[in-house]
Amino acid sequence: MSELIFFYVANILTLGGAITVVIAKNIVYAALGLFVSLIGVAGLFLMGLAQFLALAQILVYGGAIVIVILFALMLTKIEDFRELRDQTHRPIAILASVFIFVLLAASILLTEIRTTQPSEISIEKIGEMLFNQWAIPFEVASIILLIALIGAIVMVRVGQTDD
Amino acid sequence: MLGIAWSLSWVLPALNLIAFLGALATYRIKKGIVAAGFSLVAIFAAFVVFWFLVSEVLENGFLSDQMTWFQIAETKIIFGFYVDRLTLLLLGLITFVALIVQVYSFGYMKKEPRFGWFFTVNAFFVASMLALVLADNLLFLYFAWELVGLGSYLLIGFWYERRSAAEAAKKAFITTRIGDVALLIGIIVLFKSTGTFQISTIIDYAQSGLIGSETILIASILIFLGAMGKSAQVPFHVWLPDAMEGPTPVSALIHAATMVVAGVYLVTRMLPLFEISSTTMWVVTIVGMSSFLLAACMAMVMHDIKRVLAYSTISHLGLMMFALGCGAASAAVVHLLAHGVGKAILFLCSGNVSHSLDGETNLMKMGGLLKKLPLTAVLFLIGSISLAGIFPLAGFFSKDEIISGVLDGRGWFFVGVLLIGTVLSSLYLARLWILVFFKNSQYQTEVQHQPNVFMKIPLIVLAIPTVVFGISLAQFNNSFFGLHAWFIEYSQHHFNFLIAILSTLAALLGVFIAWVMIFRKFSENHLMMITFKRIEHILIRKFFFDDFYQFVIDKIILIVANMVALLDRKLVNDILVDGLPKLVYSIGRIVRVFQSGQISHYAFAMIFFASLIFAGWWLLVTNT
Amino acid sequence: MIDLVHFQLASAALFSIGIYGVLARRSSILVLMSIELMLNAVNVNLIGYSSFTDFGMDHRILGQIFVIFIITVAAAEFALAVAIILRLYRNLSTVNIDEISSLKG
Repeated sequence: MSELIFFYVANILTLGGAITVVIAKNIVYAALGLFVSLIGVAGLFLMGLAQFLALAQILVYGGAIVIVILFALMLTKIEDFRELRDQTHRPIAILASVFIFVLLAASILLTEIRTTQPSEISIEKIGEMLFNQWAIPFEVASIILLIALIGAIVMVRVGQTDD
Repeated sequence: MLGIAWSLSWVLPALNLIAFLGALATYRIKKGIVAAGFSLVAIFAAFVVFWFLVSEVLENGFLSDQMTWFQIAETKIIFGFYVDRLTLLLLGLITFVALIVQVYSFGYMKKEPRFGWFFTVNAFFVASMLALVLADNLLFLYFAWELVGLGSYLLIGFWYERRSAAEAAKKAFITTRIGDVALLIGIIVLFKSTGTFQISTIIDYAQSGLIGSETILIASILIFLGAMGKSAQVPFHVWLPDAMEGPTPVSALIHAATMVVAGVYLVTRMLPLFEISSTTMWVVTIVGMSSFLLAACMAMVMHDIKRVLAYSTISHLGLMMFALGCGAASAAVVHLLAHGVGKAILFLCSGNVSHSLDGETNLMKMGGLLKKLPLTAVLFLIGSISLAGIFPLAGFFSKDEIISGVLDGRGWFFVGVLLIGTVLSSLYLARLWILVFFKNSQYQTEVQHQPNVFMKIPLIVLAIPTVVFGISLAQFNNSFFGLHAWFIEYSQHHFNFLIAILSTLAALLGVFIAWVMIFRKFSENHLMMITFKRIEHILIRKFFFDDFYQFVIDKIILIVANMVALLDRKLVNDILVDGLPKLVYSIGRIVRVFQSGQISHYAFAMIFFASLIFAGWWLLVTNT
Repeated sequence: MIDLVHFQLASAALFSIGIYGVLARRSSILVLMSIELMLNAVNVNLIGYSSFTDFGMDHRILGQIFVIFIITVAAAEFALAVAIILRLYRNLSTVNIDEISSLKG
């Protein structure tokens, strides 16, 4: 019972935050909405008994990405009210998103999958996997992060040499 | 000896070819004397080698030699030479007349700025002509045939700064081209049915009945068309009078003695083939006869010396074809020789006349030159008497042969036609001689200078055979000078007194009429005058042949050519060539609309189509 | 009581909202944020499969591994995207995606 409540709360946070992201006129509200949504997603992870991932989610997204967004917003001077320009594209966007949702929901509800009660996966198991079977992708992921780091620095460097 | 003789026949054209190449490299050096030297040495050497060949052929009957150029499947393209008596006679004529003409040109073309080039092309021409008569297969013959045409074009248009000369060269080439195409098709037809180009093989096949009679008919007619083009038979004769725009030695060499006889030579060579089809023989006869008569008529009214001689050439070539059509091959060839030499004399003499009068060729403006150019006048007279067929010069005997041949072949009616033609022949020659040399004219014709030695001696040398041939032709035995024995078909010669007398009378009648026409007045009878004037008009307009051709060209050929050009511009260029880029461009302009540059558009497109793919996959592929 | 279907529907809803955001929002940064929403939707879906199905352990753990990598790569991509946007802003003085259309035609 309590799980259900927790689940719904998490959902509300997630979806509410998401709606804030896409609707809010104030862009900072949108950024905060993103934060809330991501926290909600972490909650959903907890419901699926993926504690480590929930932690990682909060750390990465909440700690890093939202901060980056706020910095980006600060560096690019954005006017607060963008309402007028949003209007023209709303119909098509609504159409597309509703269409996708209907499609996905239909496929979800019509598909039979056997389910069980959730069971936990220990963090030791995840570590074991990451370092044995998925070692190479793990290393490659670290290289990706390195490249992203270097790339981002290079791109925003102020100087004569441009890329 | 056989070893040496086997390659001797090559030497003749090869020498001249080398001379041509040498002259080509040097024709500007020392005002062209070097080139002239090459050419003269080569032709003289060829003349000498010719006599060696004579002894060889007398010994062995004939010579042949071959060299394969390349081979496709089983067909070999061969350069082959075949020397039999017919070839030998023509070789003699060609080398002899070419030698005389080149020596003559040395004097005639003295002040010519392009002296060297003249001799260069001459050497080229002689090489090609020699190759033509030596060829043993039709392909090689055609090859040489075309080269000879090229030589003729270059020489007719030698003074190409003159518009009329350039036009004449073009006209000659195009008119003979029509014949050449027919010849090529004929050769191919024969090749298709026999698998070979070798003349001897083809004739063997034909005579053993291995070639179908329709094929023989078609092939022989086509080959004859080619001969008609080169030998200026009606209706392809229109180029020869205009070809007189070239220098006079050129006219003497090419358009009297050598190139124009290529057609006659071809017909003679292929005569065994022609004889199988009587239709072809009739065609040859009729065409020859028409040319003989029509050209003789036109020669009577021309005002230009060289044009009279040109029409005379057409007429005599027609006579040769006439003889061939009646089967009298030996007669035709004898006349070929006599005419070649005689006409060359006439042309070179006319060259003397015009050279002395600084280029004047209108005979209406000449007169009384007998006193001022005595040697020329006498030689001209000799040539005319020979060609008119008056005893005892060469022309008499050859004409006699022809008349007997025609009589044996076709009968008295055609002999009658022949005699009428004889009257006309001597008529125009007499008119020519009288007007130029004898009659005193009202114009003050002052001879500017006498012809130089180079122009006199060759003429005398040329006159010797004219006189001597006649006597030698009367020999029946197998001796060296007995030309009768020289032919593959040896027809027994009957010296028919009746014919001899008739032909001589006819010739004399012609002279008489000419005398009367010039010195007496016909003006009493008004009607006759008008009739004469009408006839004269038709004749002077050359029976309207040229006008007809021009009409055809303007109205038909040029219109078709314009239509084709239009088709090319519109269809090929605008639609096919330009069309493709234009199509690509228009498609591009349509597609461009979708490249709006708006990221949200792109995003939408991606999302939309991805979802469509998903939906499609879900609905169609999976079973839910 | 909580079933896989719940997770999937939540994921679908989040995804659709993300799509709406991508198409409707004009500022580049907001589009980027919407993309993050979409990525998170995918993560939720994967975790759902990992937890609620009865495949063997080796298969179920794949979901979580996959999510780890998605988070990693998404973070990297996000950083680079922000760098690009900042660069664009420096050149064009705008981040409105309607005005960033020099690839037109």
